[in-house]
Amino acid sequence: MDFANLASQLNAGTILPEGIVITTLLGVLIVDLILGRTSARWIGYLAIAGLLAAVVALYYQWDAVNPISFSGGFTGDDLSIVFRGIIALSAVVTILMSIRYVEQSGTALAEFIAILLTATLGGMFLSGASELVMIFISLETLSISSYLLTGYTKRDPRSNEAALKYLLIGAASTAVFLYGVSLLYGLSGGQTELSAIANGIITANVGQSLGLVISLVFIIAGIGFKISAAPFHQWTPDVYEGAPTPVIAFLSVGSKAAGFALAIRLLTTVFPMVADEWRFVFTALAILSMILGNVVALAQTSMKRMLAYSSIAQAGFVMIGLIAGTEAGYASMVFYLMVYLFMNLCGFTCVILFSLRTGTDQIAEYSGLYQKDPLLTLGLSISLLSLGGIPPLAGFFGKIYLFWAGWQAGLYGLVLLGLVTSVISIYYYIRVVKMMVVKEPQEMSDVVKNYPEVRWNLPGLRPLQVGLVVSLIATSIAGILSNPLFTLANNSISHTQILQATTAEVSTVSLKEPEQL
Amino acid sequence: MLSVLIWAPIIASLIIGFWPNNSIQPNRLRLVSLTLSGLILLWNLFILLKFDLSNPGMQFQEYLPWNETLGLSYQLGVDGLSILMLILNSLLTWIAIYTSSQQTERPRLFYSMILLVSGGVAGAFLSENLLLFFLFYELELIPFYLLISIWGGEKRAYAGIKFLIYTAVSGALILATFLGMVWLTGSTSFACDAVSTQTLSAGMQLLLLSGIILGFGIKIPLVPFHTWLPDAYVEASAPIAILLGGVLAKLGTYGLLRFGMGMFPQAWSTVAPTLAIWGAISAIYGAVVAIAQKDIKRMVAYSSIGHMGYVLLASAASTALALVGAVSQMFSHGIILAILFHLVGVVEAKVGTRELDKLNGLMSPIRGIPLISALLVLSGMASAGIPGLTGFIAEFIVFQGSFSVFPIPTILCVVASGLTAVYFVILLNRTCFGKLDNDLAYYPKVLWSEKMPALILAALIIFLGVQPTWLVRWSEPTTTAMVAAITPSEKTVISEVALK
Repeated sequence: MDFANLASQLNAGTILPEGIVITTLLGVLIVDLILGRTSARWIGYLAIAGLLAAVVALYYQWDAVNPISFSGGFTGDDLSIVFRGIIALSAVVTILMSIRYVEQSGTALAEFIAILLTATLGGMFLSGASELVMIFISLETLSISSYLLTGYTKRDPRSNEAALKYLLIGAASTAVFLYGVSLLYGLSGGQTELSAIANGIITANVGQSLGLVISLVFIIAGIGFKISAAPFHQWTPDVYEGAPTPVIAFLSVGSKAAGFALAIRLLTTVFPMVADEWRFVFTALAILSMILGNVVALAQTSMKRMLAYSSIAQAGFVMIGLIAGTEAGYASMVFYLMVYLFMNLCGFTCVILFSLRTGTDQIAEYSGLYQKDPLLTLGLSISLLSLGGIPPLAGFFGKIYLFWAGWQAGLYGLVLLGLVTSVISIYYYIRVVKMMVVKEPQEMSDVVKNYPEVRWNLPGLRPLQVGLVVSLIATSIAGILSNPLFTLANNSISHTQILQATTAEVSTVSLKEPEQL
Repeated sequence: MLSVLIWAPIIASLIIGFWPNNSIQPNRLRLVSLTLSGLILLWNLFILLKFDLSNPGMQFQEYLPWNETLGLSYQLGVDGLSILMLILNSLLTWIAIYTSSQQTERPRLFYSMILLVSGGVAGAFLSENLLLFFLFYELELIPFYLLISIWGGEKRAYAGIKFLIYTAVSGALILATFLGMVWLTGSTSFACDAVSTQTLSAGMQLLLLSGIILGFGIKIPLVPFHTWLPDAYVEASAPIAILLGGVLAKLGTYGLLRFGMGMFPQAWSTVAPTLAIWGAISAIYGAVVAIAQKDIKRMVAYSSIGHMGYVLLASAASTALALVGAVSQMFSHGIILAILFHLVGVVEAKVGTRELDKLNGLMSPIRGIPLISALLVLSGMASAGIPGLTGFIAEFIVFQGSFSVFPIPTILCVVASGLTAVYFVILLNRTCFGKLDNDLAYYPKVLWSEKMPALILAALIIFLGVQPTWLVRWSEPTTTAMVAAITPSEKTVISEVALK
């Protein structure tokens, strides 16, 4: 194999965005080593600049002629680009939040950012990985960094406990995932690349065999853990409560997006033979997640725990698009994850701001906040109402598109359940709004009575404010001006080759259904 | 032209809500909102003048593509069904702002929310796209929740949450039905004229129609789903109650007429007998329960349930006359309820109680509040259906139009109308007549500015009662066309389907 041939096989240009992130990561580490703590003032901005450069590089890779690189190990198609963008942006906002938060906890910022960037890197590679080993390595890179981030505030016993819980459950579920993956390798006659596995399974004639089903179930267990779908959700509430808040913000958006990217790629490429089976399993997961997430969230007193259950429920909504399996279904998932980025990060920014100023995150302590901090009240109200799907906010359009795609695919029961649980979710989201807005001045909690004067010029608060305002504006108008985002989501699906075959098949099936009624 | 009705209040509400200066006096803010809503009302009247009475279809249409993937387009239009509702909306918004207290707490949020609601309601009445309608329909949810639970009575938190949940459930039902209507008919767009349900099987049409009836029935409200109403109306402050009862309830009946009857003409004739009986039961129930109340605001709230029953009866009958009656009844119920809630609010503010057992002798010319009492008598009579006032006209058209189709439910509704007179006589007897308590009767003076809205509404009630053409002429062509779409063409539609 001569060099030119090798270079074209490698096609290393596709991972330019990740290359930029790696360089930034090393830059952050080295600067920290040389300059020590004094660099903490600007090192965050360096990382943000690197991530934004990676997003720009992603933009130029849109509709790449030859997306397959590293001899099939990595696919830089439009689907992966959208998900890599979501993950990189969620890391940007997370860094904006964490500058002040990590400083205040007395730990080193550069180390934190380095681990966060590694997690970002793992997530970005996972979105495009199309080979079993590559998938596993990037999944592990993401997971191990997440364990470290969860236990980052190591003097806080709750953070330690959360990290331990996350590690034990995470490692176990990765092992289960690995077992499923190794089964795939064996079943397909020794293939590791996803499309080759699909062909290998057909030639070996093991389609719909017990082995394939077992490997499917084991892989779903691993994916379900990442997207925190019930019943693989048990870590979520505890980790969300214990971990530093910026970390949760990243886990709830970046890590979840990576999980969904993996789900789409793996399930549609490798398991078309057992498509009915994995749709069935995911239907069960979606039903459980929507019910459990929304109902248990009603009974929470801590803001972070409530958001944990809400994120389980939101994963249930997103799964409707995955189960639909049509082009609109996948596009609605992508769209929902994009708006989920804005609303969840806006919400978490407000939670961080509140806990930075008062040191608590109990829901009852928010009462009467509108008087002391109107911007925080507005941001949190808008993001929670958007999560609940109130028009004309971004979440409303996201949910409508999910339900519309689900209905088109004939998933009447799931959509109805989604509607019912949305009504339930409005109740617990509005409870926080009620605390902040409706309560009279004399019902103010003690914490709010002693609320420090709002000052934005303290170190590290300005980036928080920028993050809050940008995500707040995006949450408010991303629904009304949703056309570009819709086009982006739809193109990312329709330009992706691996999905073309499966969606065409499914949509012809689902078109027939209504006539039978 | 129509966009102004939606966007002027919404933009004004955003400006008021986000105005950087925090220390604006409630008084000035009230004046600004009052002027604004006054201008919108004038603009609405201008549209009314330009309204072409001979055209049964949509007028002043506006179209902008919005989101083609979802089939959502910004498509507006007004016809005989919605023009009066629009006027009602902007009139009652103006009155609600006028009657709001000069010392409202947190005035910016208050006026901002009222204007937002006004724009949202206008948008819902104007939408010609199912999804756009739903968007505006759900837009009212949060502002009304806040309006009830911040500026309400003692149990406002409970009433607010109850309202929120009932309305959210109603929204979910409506959305599910809309999705079903559009997808099952194979349409790619949510535009009203693109969806034709005739191709569906009868069973499917019935299922979807029942989704519409239940969804809007919660909002109207029909009897088993009405339990949010007494709480929400009673706990809301007077201006909010005016908006809730006057405008929001109309959104329910309007939706039922537009999307139930207008889009399912075949299935509608199947469910019509049930609906007629349901309407009659609602009317009787509302009246009987109102008789038992000891609180005047609660009485008025239950009277609202009864009066919406007539609208349901008329929509079920769906003769040309009955539909004109339904629209007239919606409008006159809106203004009568507004004046009643306003007067009850004044009585409560001056006397300090709403209990029937404590109120007495308010008619007394010197120490009582005679003008308010007189207006209360007038509006009670209007509500009970006394000739010469607009309530009578509307109810009479309803009964006249429905009797030929559903005689027994109509007679039941006439009985209910009689019972309405009973509880209003009780109310008037216990509040206006009798003797004042000498120890307690030192009421503050009622200012002229407080009487103004009631005087305007009373004049309107009398005028429309004496000159009813002005009430019915707007909706006649449209309702005639709607009826024509249901009855005679029914056979041709069926034969067309059979041919296919």
